[in-house]
Amino acid sequence: MDRRTVLKGLAGAGSLAATGGLSMPALSQGAAARTLRFVPQADLANFDPIWGTQYVVRNAAALVWDTLYGIDATLQPQRQMVESEEVSSDGLTWTFRLRPGLKFHDGEPVLSKDVVASLTRWSARDPMGLMIKAIQNELTAVDDRTFKWVLKQPYPKMLLALGKNNTPCAFIMPERIAKTDPFKQITEYVGSGPMKFARSEWVPGAKSVFEKFTDYVPRQEKASWLAGGKQMLVDRVEWVVIPDPATAAAALQNGEIDWWENPIADLVPVLKKNRNISVDIADPLGNIGVFRMNHLYPPFSDVRARRAVLTALNQEDYMRALVGDDTSLWKPLPGFFTPGTPLYTEEGGEILKGKRDFAAAKKLLAESGYSNQPVSCIVAQDQPITKAQGDVTADLLKQMGMNVDFVATDWGTVGSRRAQKTPPGQGGWQMFHTWHAGADCLSPAAYAGIRGNGDKAWWGWPTSPAVEKEVTAWFDAKSLDEEKAAVARLNRAALEDVIYAPTGFFLNYTAWRKNVSGIAKGPLPFFWGVSKTA
Amino acid sequence: MVSYILRRILATVPVMAIVALFVFSLLYIAPGDPAAVIAGDQASPADVERIRQSLGLDRPFLVQFGSWLWHILHGDLGTSIFTNLPVSSLIAQRIEPTLSLMAITLVLTIVLAVPLGVVAAWKAGSWVDRTIMTFAVFGFSLPVFVVGYVLAYVFALEFEWLPVQGYMPLSEGFWPWLENLILPAVALGCVYIALIARITRASMLEVLQQDYIRTARAKGMGQGSILFIHALKNAAVPIVTVIGLGIALLIGGAVVTESVFAIPGLGRLTVDAILRRDYPVIQGIVLLFSFLYVLINLLVDVTYTLVDPRIRY
Amino acid sequence: MTVSTTHSLTVPPGLVIAPQLPDLLQPVKVRRGVLGFLRNHPTVAIGGALLLCLVLIGIFAPYLGTVDPTAIAPAKRTRAPSADFWFGTDLLGRDIYSRVLFGTRVSLTVGLSVATLATLAGLAIGLVSGFVRWADSILMRFVDGLMSIPPILLAVALMALTRGSVGNVILSITIAEIPRVSRLVRGVVLSLREQPYVDAAIASGTRTPMIILRHILPNTLAPMLVQATYVCASAMIVESILSFIGAGTPPTIPSWGNIMAEGRALWQIKPYIVFFPAAFLSVTVLAVNLLGDGLRDALDPRMAKSL
Repeated sequence: MDRRTVLKGLAGAGSLAATGGLSMPALSQGAAARTLRFVPQADLANFDPIWGTQYVVRNAAALVWDTLYGIDATLQPQRQMVESEEVSSDGLTWTFRLRPGLKFHDGEPVLSKDVVASLTRWSARDPMGLMIKAIQNELTAVDDRTFKWVLKQPYPKMLLALGKNNTPCAFIMPERIAKTDPFKQITEYVGSGPMKFARSEWVPGAKSVFEKFTDYVPRQEKASWLAGGKQMLVDRVEWVVIPDPATAAAALQNGEIDWWENPIADLVPVLKKNRNISVDIADPLGNIGVFRMNHLYPPFSDVRARRAVLTALNQEDYMRALVGDDTSLWKPLPGFFTPGTPLYTEEGGEILKGKRDFAAAKKLLAESGYSNQPVSCIVAQDQPITKAQGDVTADLLKQMGMNVDFVATDWGTVGSRRAQKTPPGQGGWQMFHTWHAGADCLSPAAYAGIRGNGDKAWWGWPTSPAVEKEVTAWFDAKSLDEEKAAVARLNRAALEDVIYAPTGFFLNYTAWRKNVSGIAKGPLPFFWGVSKTA
Repeated sequence: MVSYILRRILATVPVMAIVALFVFSLLYIAPGDPAAVIAGDQASPADVERIRQSLGLDRPFLVQFGSWLWHILHGDLGTSIFTNLPVSSLIAQRIEPTLSLMAITLVLTIVLAVPLGVVAAWKAGSWVDRTIMTFAVFGFSLPVFVVGYVLAYVFALEFEWLPVQGYMPLSEGFWPWLENLILPAVALGCVYIALIARITRASMLEVLQQDYIRTARAKGMGQGSILFIHALKNAAVPIVTVIGLGIALLIGGAVVTESVFAIPGLGRLTVDAILRRDYPVIQGIVLLFSFLYVLINLLVDVTYTLVDPRIRY
Repeated sequence: MTVSTTHSLTVPPGLVIAPQLPDLLQPVKVRRGVLGFLRNHPTVAIGGALLLCLVLIGIFAPYLGTVDPTAIAPAKRTRAPSADFWFGTDLLGRDIYSRVLFGTRVSLTVGLSVATLATLAGLAIGLVSGFVRWADSILMRFVDGLMSIPPILLAVALMALTRGSVGNVILSITIAEIPRVSRLVRGVVLSLREQPYVDAAIASGTRTPMIILRHILPNTLAPMLVQATYVCASAMIVESILSFIGAGTPPTIPSWGNIMAEGRALWQIKPYIVFFPAAFLSVTVLAVNLLGDGLRDALDPRMAKSL
């Protein structure tokens, strides 16, 4: 190998590369105005909204798939893909008729058999769907645009189930895709929603691209959350994952991105000061901080220990740690239901109000038989919400005189460990933190976290016959007043038995550049009606 | 020469096998369950178990390892648990940004560090030497992300000369590709520049003491040509070695740099995969990095022959 | 003519006495002892002094005007440096001054422990590998394998296996640093093995352990000491990067790395959260590097040119 030849070759290649492409970037000015660059709350690693129930999957799925009904800003389900529906007088037969002209992204028309297959898959995973499935007689297609669902008992909340925004939503997929096992991921992302998923440009962990579906026929009504006409005013939406909040803030200030879903509260003042950026509350339904204890093992198997925690818990500490010094961003929450909604109640919430009483807490703790055993708290460090709550809890319990075993780990490990029913010390756990979107805590309907049915309940497995009684009462309620009464009693029972400890109610901001308009408040980012000037 | 290269490649097989076994075992006994993460917040324990079975995560260790090895040898790096995409396509998507970043950093380093080291050696003992060496020690001492943040703030936000984040593929044009990589490359290269400058200086010092340098000076050769034509070539062997070894440093630093500057590269992919327990992705990437590292060391050995004609294989 | 010298001398005629040479070369003042050593090698002195300062800060942290570094006060979060909080407060209202001083303990512990453990392990592996030929290829394949995995990735992967604790951080970084040390020791052993005095020792029947102890080990000490300082510096930086990614010391124990990691999102508007631990980290790493450079120059002038 001759040294000179090699070096000459390298020099040649270098000059070729330099002259090769001093071209302009691909997007011209006009094209840039038709592309919306958005920073989502998390990365879109997989994209099956029935199989994977993370919020970010649902948010993306809302672009690609459409639903039969959709709730609007008044929380009422409105028709979306459905043209009309009919309920038999005994409440057992629901007959639905689809709108004409609905198409999938591959050009095929949307038919009843697609709907039937999709609903079958959805009802195998969704809590309300499972309830319907349990009382189902048959779900069949009558003709290409009509299908019916025959039940053994009436289910008044049918439309809410089909139109709710809580994950998993009843998205309609082509039959061949919907026939996938509900416990396996789909591999094709074809729907009838207003945008197509650009599969070839998807870089999981970094970027997802959606393109306008030109054959989409929006409804005539004005858009309101998941209801009404979903008009796309941009041609392309790019979801760019920026893991570092400081970098995302800088990118928004620089104009490198147009809309940031979840700016952290501490950076919001910087964004507000910038003349080119608008900042507003993302979702008035906010979030509820959740501190769950394991009811199966001591010390929290004794209700007195749990009530000791509620006696000492200071929601202000948690909320400040989560959203900073802006007091308009949080509210104390002496209950489990979203403030500002019809079923909100503070019944039984005295234990969380007023000055914190550490002496009483310590006394309760001692009565429950606690004597300095280590109590494990698993805290995910990679989620700011759980990390902040975990730090505050550790301090709270230390002040109560408890011996805290702080296990710092990641969200994935928390997810697997909280499912273990083994005793702590053998791979189990005693405390963990999470949060619920306010939109999921409007009523007992889709609220898995409020249930007290022991083994079948959510992580922590609380057992509370009083709570279960009121849940049933709510489902059977015939009027709003009856519902409110049932929920008030439920709230009281849940606080007495301490199903979990609510750490407060908090709001998030969302931020966008001033040349973007049409951004609406809601439980998920809505891309229809959003436009951008150059 | 060709037979040497072939022999070297064969010698890497046992090394890679050990790496593969090591990484696979490490992840097998790790706590944390990808099935639970995938199932999501609202899933029940029965759902999680069903997902585990569908992913084949409940089979014994040797069966999983054997199956994985079999697929690797057929070029199939497996499928990501999380995204359901083939690992090889995930890697293919992400490799260009990382390689671009590393290439730019390498070029920048060599262009900056080698002359600095040469000058420091030439003026050994003077204030020039001391200044350069002090900067070099500073380069070691700062964490990469601090440098990255400061650079982004000064050059991107304040002066608006360069973008804050992101990556443009080379196909979109040379300048957009380059401008997105300048700040990350400088941040990443700090440590590397410091290291190479020191080694260059040390190696050059040794060479400058030699008799033939004295002869060249006595013959009346210009200082520049002495330094760069005679001395540097002879000093090159240790410099090239350290450049090769330092690639491992670069890969590590790339993880942080890619996070700070939002570059969709392999470093971020690895960290995300590790935090999510996406075993096939982790295994594929570590194998890839090891292979690259071994390849680079081979290239280093071949480069020796180019710079030092005495070395023959 | 007589010339006055110490002993008077009669000079025979015809002989010329050269004029007395002026004292151009001052006599070398031989500086003995540790102080002398330090005066001769200022880099060691500066690096050593800085390091000693930091060690003392770490040991006496509770007495230096600090409060409990883990006490949270969310009502007082992210306050700028002031008379009450010399370095300001972090996102949970904890006093950064206290956290940084207590963090000195963690970072120094990690750095020094990793340096010690990696050196000892690397020494053992390198000695065995250099001396026992059949073990060489096996051990070196294993070490090569470890070296092919980039250190950060190896440390992150190991940390993902275990729960966060200072001990586990030390363990993972040590494992990542062992290959470098063992290769260095092996190189020294291989070159020394060919020396005539070693041959003589073997020929005269000295047993291998004795040879290692008497002849090989003393010669490895100098390069190993220097390498140990570099390993220490590198370990402290790796710890901060691990915390940055979220795979390092648990948050209940303040370390410079996790103070910076927690404050990273706000560095534009509240830079003091990242600045103070970064400054302390840089100074410490600088001190250790200076110490290493100085030792290298002092212990073996030949080595000064080869490293």
